[in-house]
Amino acid sequence: MSEFHDPFPSYETMSQHDEAHGKKARRTLWNVFWLLLVVTIVEVVVGLYAVDWNLSKTFLKIFFIGFTLVKAFYIVYTFMHLGHESKWTKWVIIGPFTGFILYLIFMMVIGEGNYSMTKRLDEPAAKVEHVDGGGH
Amino acid sequence: MAGATANLEKIEGWDGQTSPMRASYGKLFMWFFLVSDALTFSGFLCAYGFFRHRFAGEWPDPQEVFHHFPFLHGKHLPLMYVGLMTFILIMSSVTMVLAVEAGHRKNRRQVLIWMFATIIGGFMFVGSQAWEWYNFIKGTDTGAVLYENKMYLYKVDHATHAIDTTTLRFKGAELSKEESARIIASGEKFYGANLKHNEYGHIAFADFFFFITGFHGFHVFSGVMINIVIFIMALQGYMDRVGHYEMVEKVGLYWHFVDLVWVFVFTFFYLL
Repeated sequence: MSEFHDPFPSYETMSQHDEAHGKKARRTLWNVFWLLLVVTIVEVVVGLYAVDWNLSKTFLKIFFIGFTLVKAFYIVYTFMHLGHESKWTKWVIIGPFTGFILYLIFMMVIGEGNYSMTKRLDEPAAKVEHVDGGGH
Repeated sequence: MAGATANLEKIEGWDGQTSPMRASYGKLFMWFFLVSDALTFSGFLCAYGFFRHRFAGEWPDPQEVFHHFPFLHGKHLPLMYVGLMTFILIMSSVTMVLAVEAGHRKNRRQVLIWMFATIIGGFMFVGSQAWEWYNFIKGTDTGAVLYENKMYLYKVDHATHAIDTTTLRFKGAELSKEESARIIASGEKFYGANLKHNEYGHIAFADFFFFITGFHGFHVFSGVMINIVIFIMALQGYMDRVGHYEMVEKVGLYWHFVDLVWVFVFTFFYLL
């Protein structure tokens, strides 16, 4: 095959490594595992004692979502190996996803949320009793 | 092959020739599939957040709903079981990535060992989820009262978790003793949850629980099945004949995605 007509590089040229590199890679993977484990344990402990320690709801939201994003970053970056892909691969995956998510959240909060909170759900909910009651 | 490597380093743009992504077709499209799948889950979780915010007054506290642990019936242990499930899934993610790493070294034996461990972890997780569903559907010992197609919940003391079976709550508001007694007398007991009724609180809570954890569990189950297929292929020496273990890497991407989704489900469903 001509070197100029190879639309995709072969797997052998890019994703294989020797024993020495493998040892280094494995150490990184285990480090990330311990990090994920410690973060999860911290989250569970904070979740269990949130009431006893009088932590505010806003603090908990920021705390949990922040740590979740940290975990997500390490899973994607190391386990899914995205950190070692080419610059364009990273952008093509992260870019559209981030765009759609921001759009989704924006439309949920500003658009649909605002509309439903003020108009759509309030009025029929009183008439049509399709919703179970409750809450402790 | 040496020429191709040099070529990769030389060409920086597409220019009608080499992809600037330097990734194989299969891997790229696994990523694109995962992006679309991630958007589906994001839609679910955003809708969950929206409903929860909208019905904040009658939304159940997850720690009051999920507090079971195997062999410890009646003990109030929130987050313990789901923490264990998270540990199992993270652990199986690590074994998967170790299989991928062994594949990079073309070490068939290690690929098989780690993939086997991943499959076991996957089955353990699916089994744990089944147990979680079983408890959720079966319900608590006291249940709630269903009267005129509306769910009335017993009052619960937050500090002691003691249930007051003489006082009812409806849509977050406490009813009087007389009203409660009348409804308890004429209504019927309801235990657990289905898609129409839910003893824990707002019905959307049960719906979202079934849909989100069910959709995720289905992903885990599919992942285990695909893992088994790849395991058998590796066992038969298919990857050695092809000359690389990229299939392990691709199924690994899917498996880590499942773990990634669980990290978010864990936060939004159980922690917050």
